[in-house]
Amino acid sequence: MLPTFNLTNELVLLERISTRNGKAGSGDVVILQSPENPRKLVTKRIIGMEGDKITYIVDPKNSDRTETVIVPKGHVWVQGDNIYNSYDSRNFGPVPYGLLKGKIWPSSAFGSIGKRPETVDPALKVLEQTNQS
Amino acid sequence: MKILLTKWSAIAKDSINRAAIVAKFLCLLHVTNTYIFSPTLVYGPSMLPTLNLTGDVLLSEYVSHRLGKVGPGDVVLVQSPENPRKMITKRVVGMEGEVVSFLVDPGHSDRSRTVVVPKGHVWIQGDNIYASNDSRNFGPIPYGLIQGKVLCRVWPLDGFGSL
Repeated sequence: MLPTFNLTNELVLLERISTRNGKAGSGDVVILQSPENPRKLVTKRIIGMEGDKITYIVDPKNSDRTETVIVPKGHVWVQGDNIYNSYDSRNFGPVPYGLLKGKIWPSSAFGSIGKRPETVDPALKVLEQTNQS
Repeated sequence: MKILLTKWSAIAKDSINRAAIVAKFLCLLHVTNTYIFSPTLVYGPSMLPTLNLTGDVLLSEYVSHRLGKVGPGDVVLVQSPENPRKMITKRVVGMEGEVVSFLVDPGHSDRSRTVVVPKGHVWIQGDNIYASNDSRNFGPIPYGLIQGKVLCRVWPLDGFGSL
């Protein structure tokens, strides 16, 4: 979940009411039970809710191939912010909403978790600047 | 005046103590119902003949699934993968890694399919395969969706006992 969270341990506040009420939506960072290991809790960001069409890069390190899926009813699509090193819905598919256990809060106040960071290669930005100057 | 005050403070102290006992009992009741065991009302045709159509009260416990003790043959309460607000009652047919063979459409054809249950998932089916929306329709469900295991039937009384 770089760069939103550090590589080492980080303490955040978790609120469990939104996921019970069905109020968790796209862009929220949530804690969910891993569909592959029920004893493990993982932190990911919700990219799409049921009915949304998701286009994702299958293997960003090696190729530019993308795939498009529609999220089935009752499920959500989660991805880590660090798409180069994240085991998420691109690997295990959409997860049922019932596996979401809580939402990281607050989402826009101190700590500013906020929106998903841009995934533009910083080397590209430097190249643009040197070309302009 | 002073005697009246001491009398009222004695009554107040006594009522606070009684209220504390009631509050402690309600807390204990809530914790038991949510995390240990509680009676559950279930209804629907998908578990005939094990469970009645019009409704049964079952005693279900919420400890086994946290310890990983749910296995094939158990009747479990799970959160529906299609609607997270709905709880459904089905039987566990296969755990992760097991091979499950099932009839795709038992009312109309004899075609069967075989799947391997993926890691971290379970395969659930209702006992009434002709009228059950289960893993044959929505696939294997993650183990984390299991909320509890059914122990025995409590009501109606003539069906009392383990299923």
